[in-house]
Amino acid sequence: MMSPDTRIPRRWTSLDAGQAALPMPSTLVSVWSVINHFLEWFGDLGLFAWQVMRAAVRRPFEGRELIRQLDELGSKSLPLVALAGAAIGAVLSLESRSSLVRFGAKSMLPAALVYSIIHETGPIVTGLVVSGRVGAGIGAELGSMKVTEQIDAIEASGVNPYKFLAFTRIVACILMLPLLTLAADFCGVLFGWIAETLVEPVSFLRFINQGFAGASFSDFLAPTLRTAVFGLIIGMIGCFQGMRTKGGTAGVGFSATSSVVLSSLFVILADVILVKFILVFFP
Amino acid sequence: MSRAARLGAFIIATLAILAAGVFLIGSNQYLFTPTYRLKAQFATVVGLDPGAEVRVGGVHSGSVRSIELPNKPDGKITVLMDLQRSTHNIIKRDSVAAIETEGLLGNEYVSISFGSPQAPNVKEDDTIVSEPPLVIADLMKKADGILDTSQEALNNVTVVTANLSSISGKINHGQGTIGALVNDKKIYTQLDQTTAGLRDTVNHAQVGVVAFQENMEAMKQNFLLRGFFKNRGYEDSSELAKNEITQLPQTAPLKTFTFESKLLFDKVDTAKPKNQKSLRAAGQFLADTEFGVAVVVVSTGTTGDAQKDLVLTQARAMVVRDYLVSNFSFDDAQLKTLGLGKGKSANPDSSWGTVEIIVYPVDTELQQTSSTSP
Repeated sequence: MMSPDTRIPRRWTSLDAGQAALPMPSTLVSVWSVINHFLEWFGDLGLFAWQVMRAAVRRPFEGRELIRQLDELGSKSLPLVALAGAAIGAVLSLESRSSLVRFGAKSMLPAALVYSIIHETGPIVTGLVVSGRVGAGIGAELGSMKVTEQIDAIEASGVNPYKFLAFTRIVACILMLPLLTLAADFCGVLFGWIAETLVEPVSFLRFINQGFAGASFSDFLAPTLRTAVFGLIIGMIGCFQGMRTKGGTAGVGFSATSSVVLSSLFVILADVILVKFILVFFP
Repeated sequence: MSRAARLGAFIIATLAILAAGVFLIGSNQYLFTPTYRLKAQFATVVGLDPGAEVRVGGVHSGSVRSIELPNKPDGKITVLMDLQRSTHNIIKRDSVAAIETEGLLGNEYVSISFGSPQAPNVKEDDTIVSEPPLVIADLMKKADGILDTSQEALNNVTVVTANLSSISGKINHGQGTIGALVNDKKIYTQLDQTTAGLRDTVNHAQVGVVAFQENMEAMKQNFLLRGFFKNRGYEDSSELAKNEITQLPQTAPLKTFTFESKLLFDKVDTAKPKNQKSLRAAGQFLADTEFGVAVVVVSTGTTGDAQKDLVLTQARAMVVRDYLVSNFSFDDAQLKTLGLGKGKSANPDSSWGTVEIIVYPVDTELQQTSSTSP
C-alpha cells in the first residue's frame, strides 16, 4: 500500500504538515482573476452602454446609416428567419400531432400549434437565428474595423463612432426583431397548417379560426414585443465585442465567436426573465 | 430593387401580419363589431375564463368580458358578456344563461337561450336569469350515492328472493294456509259454493232496491208528502243542473224576455209555479223562430242565504224550462238554464228576482256546458 503523501499534492495537506496557514494561493488567484475579468466585462459593457446612450441624444442622427442597417439586419435576415420559422412550424405540427392523437385531443392541434408558436417558439427561434447571423456579422465587421484602426480614423474625422457604428446597429436590431418574429410566426403557422393538411385535409380558414379561438392580445403582442429586448441584447453585445477587439485577425475571429455565443446565451437567459415578467403583468 | 424599397416591402409585409393577427384576435373578442353588454350571476363559474365564447342557440355570438367576484360571502359571481348587436332581437328578458362544457373535458362557454316573443327586450347592462352549471364532481358524488343505494337494494332483493323461495317451497308442500288452499281441493269446492250463495243474495238485494224505489215514488204521490214537493215546485233535485250552462254566450242576443219572479212563482222562496201562462209570449217566439240557443236565466233578490238562493234559481230555471218544453214545440236541446243565485238580478229593486229568457241567433257557440255539477 502506497503512502498517501506520494498521491496527494503537498499543498492539499499543508495544514497537516504544520506550515503557515496560506492555503491555495495560486487557485485563489486564478478564481479571483476569472471573477475580476467577469466583473470588468460587465463594467465595460455598462460604460459602453452609457457612451452609446450619451451619443444617441446628440445631433446628427445618422438616418441614412440607420436605414442601411435596418435593411442589412432586417430585410436580409428575413429569408433565414422565415425558413427557420417554417421548419419549426412543420416539425411542431408533426410532433404534437402524434402525441395529441395519443391523448385523443387531435382537435386541439391548431390551438396548441398557434399558441406554442406565437408564445415561445417564434420569438426564441428568431432571437437565436438573428443572434447567429447578425451577432457574428456585427462582431466581425466592427472587430476588423477596430484592428485596422478605421474606428480611430472615424473618430479623428469628427464622427462619434458610438453613434455612427453602434447606435444605428442597436436601434436597427431593436426595431427589426419584432418584425422578423412576426414573419417567423406567420411562416410557422402556415407550414404547420401545410404539414397538418397533408395528413388530414383542413381548410386554412378553419385552422386559423380554431388556432386563434382562445387567443387574447396578451398572448400575441406581449411575446412579439419582448423580442425587442432580444434585439437590444444582440446589438449591444455584438457592437461591444466588436469595438473592444484586441490583436490582429485572431482577435477579429474571437470577437465574432464571442458575440454570437454571448448574445445567444443572454437571449435565452433574458427569455426566462421576460416570460416570468410577462406572466406577472399580462396574466 | 433599391435598399429603401426592399426595407419598405419588408416592413409593410410584417406589419400586415401584425394587423392580421390583431384583427383575428380582436374579431374573436368582438372588438371591431358593435356589441352590447349583458350580465348573469352564478354561484360558481366552474373555471370559465374571461374571453370565453358566448353562444346564442349554439352560434358563437359574443365573448365573456370579465368575471367579478362578489363583495360579500352571500353574493354571486357576476359574468359580464359582450354580445353582437344582431342577437338583440333574439335575447329577451326571460332568456336564460348557462355555463356549459364542450364535451366532457372541453372549454367552458356561456350558452344563452332564446327569449319568448312577447317578453321585453334586454337593455345595456341588464342582468338575465341564470341556471346553475353542471359540476362533474357533484354528478360523480350523486352517481356514487345512487350506486351505494342500488347496492343495498340488490342486497334486499337477494334476501327477499330467499324468503320467497322458502315460502314457495312451503306452499308446494302443502304447509300453512296458502299451501292448503293451493293443494287441497276441498277448500276450492267450499269457496265455489259460497260464491254461488253470494250471487243469489245480490240478486235478491237488487229486487229489493227496485221495490224500494217504487215505494218512494208512490210516497211522493201520497197526500201526506205530496204537499212538500208541490210547494217546492219540483220533484227530483238531482236533475237541477241537467241543462245548465256555466256562462252566457258572447254573441249578441236575438231577443230577451224579462219576467218578474213575483208573477211566475207562488212564494218568495220556492220554485212552485203560479201564473205560467205569462211565459206564453216567450214560448211562442221560441216555437216560431229559428234560433241557435236560448237560455233561461234566473236570479233572486238581494235577501236570503246565498247557497239556498243558488239552488232556488237553478230550480226555477228548470221549472220554467220544463213548462216551455212541454207546452211549445222546439228542439229542447237548444234550451239551456242558468241559475245566477243571489243578488245578480237584472232589476236590483226586485226582492223576488227576475226570470229572463235570452234567445241567441243560429250559429251561437256555447263555451262550456256543465251537466255534471249537482
